[in-house]
Amino acid sequence: MKKSLIKLEKVWKVYRMGHVEVNALQGLNLDIREAEFVAIMGPSGSGKSTAVNLIGCLDVPTRGRVFLEEHDISKLEESELAQIRGRKIGFIFQQFNLVPTLTAIENVMLPMIFQGTPEEERIKKGKELIKLVELQDRMEHKPSELSGGQQQRVAIARALANDPEVILADEPTGNLDSKTGANVLDFLDELHKKEKKTIILVTHDQALAKVAERTEFLKDGKIVKTTSNRH
Amino acid sequence: MNIYEIKYALQNLGKRKLRSGLTILSILIGITAIFALLSFGIGMQNYVDTLADEAGRDKLFIQAKGIGAPGTDENFFLSKEDIDFVKKIKGVNEIVGMYFKAAEIRFSEQKRFYFVMGVDIDALEFVEETFSIEIIKGRQLKKGDIDKAVLGYNYQLEDNLFKKPIRLGDKIEINGNKFEVVGFYEEIGNPQDDTNIYISSQAFEQLFPDSKDKFGFVMMSAQKGVLPSELAEKIEERLRKFKDQEEGKENFFVQTFEDALATFTTIINVINGVLVLIAFISVIVAFVNIMNTMYTSIIERTKEIGVMKAIGARNSDILIIFVVEAGLIGLVGGILGVALGYVVAGLGGSFAAASGFALLKPSYPISLVLGCLLFSFLVGSAAGFFPARRASRLKPVDALRYE
Repeated sequence: MKKSLIKLEKVWKVYRMGHVEVNALQGLNLDIREAEFVAIMGPSGSGKSTAVNLIGCLDVPTRGRVFLEEHDISKLEESELAQIRGRKIGFIFQQFNLVPTLTAIENVMLPMIFQGTPEEERIKKGKELIKLVELQDRMEHKPSELSGGQQQRVAIARALANDPEVILADEPTGNLDSKTGANVLDFLDELHKKEKKTIILVTHDQALAKVAERTEFLKDGKIVKTTSNRH
Repeated sequence: MNIYEIKYALQNLGKRKLRSGLTILSILIGITAIFALLSFGIGMQNYVDTLADEAGRDKLFIQAKGIGAPGTDENFFLSKEDIDFVKKIKGVNEIVGMYFKAAEIRFSEQKRFYFVMGVDIDALEFVEETFSIEIIKGRQLKKGDIDKAVLGYNYQLEDNLFKKPIRLGDKIEINGNKFEVVGFYEEIGNPQDDTNIYISSQAFEQLFPDSKDKFGFVMMSAQKGVLPSELAEKIEERLRKFKDQEEGKENFFVQTFEDALATFTTIINVINGVLVLIAFISVIVAFVNIMNTMYTSIIERTKEIGVMKAIGARNSDILIIFVVEAGLIGLVGGILGVALGYVVAGLGGSFAAASGFALLKPSYPISLVLGCLLFSFLVGSAAGFFPARRASRLKPVDALRYE
């Protein structure tokens, strides 16, 4: 059995909306192990986004514990969490979320800035990653000058900048046409197979989820079903 | 802080050109005004310092108490006896009484009133040194010059005092008596001094027989090793007793050259200070403006802030990014403000010179330039601090969800 990378243990997340308390997560248990490819599915309102935020160390639980590489991170300060997610987790968003004022390569180098990587190394790594996503000739372009697919490739390169263990892709193909979406997915699959990256794919698309080794179904803030996809 | 964050901030400024431009404009105005005003203040101070060095810090004056230029108070005078008395006080080196009176000047059908100064030719060098003026055209007055005059700089100018410029050898009438112009003094830099007419004390006594031995003011120098300020006190006390006047009610006062300059400098500094304060108000407005721009910018970029936090930016990184951005708005405004201030001060200086105030010459030491730039950067950074802190405290989850 591979070692646990991210583990949610009886996690509750309670939001207050006015006087009403909303239990977004109700004792969620989830264990993601090294080099796994896991898909997370669930209808809207299932607590999927909240779960993703906790997995991505963007938020801390109300109750329960979150472990990253067996360290309890549920009580950490925001700035400590920032450093951890910068190093360990690469985010890919549905909206790409590139910084509009920066060029493609600058976007890719941005996460390294926050880790204090020396400039020389940033440029070297940035160029490597741009090459990996085959955007050498678009390197100096701003996001607005790139197609959706190209932007998502920049975002993937950015996610890999600090060589994280986990790639957390939240509806990465949601804003792309099916062909481009398939490319992105292939790329993630390749990262999983060749680079042994842990991939967490959040999607509402059954077909996409099939690429993953395992699918977790979320409903009412709990995992209701787990399926293993044989390849 | 690192260079990249600065670049990022600059790019953001560039992207929102109109708003950045307007915000920059608001600080530019204040910095322009402050830079120009201070450059005049410093120029003035330099002028005064040079003046003190040239004239010598050992000089003292006795003049009428009250407001007005020395010698203009018609009811005040120091007599020959007063001067002889002061001359004997220990520590006094040279001493000379100056005649000074307004007179009617006629030249080529025009009539004007200007001041005529009667100079003791024996003490001419001392007077010239004290006024720190030199002849630029023609010659000095000399002994026996009864119908000769040396004029201030402005008489040579066309359409200034008289329609026609006066040249060497021209004849002017002072209270109906003809005088030949034999020389001109260099420009002093203020209209009053540059319109003086200098004649010998002998000529003055003939011109104004009633004023013989009634001196408008007295100039003297202290002996080496004697402190002018101490000497001034001594003279004031002795002369008061000699003239039988009560303390505090004397009609004269003794002032060292440095004190006179200091008074002058104080007045200039106060005026300058008030103007700088007014300019400061516009910097405060700019401060608020930058703050407002930054708050708006942060709301617009909430999502971007969320993204940066997601990919590892700590609160302090976000804080620095936005403080630097605001600081850069200030700095760019400062650079443009200094450049514009340089132009404005230059134009102001030429304008002042054209109006006869050549002594109002701006000076731009490097410390003023750097000081203005640093100040504008700090104003910007300070204005950006609270918006930046708000940005840095955004929760990444909320910021990311923001549309």
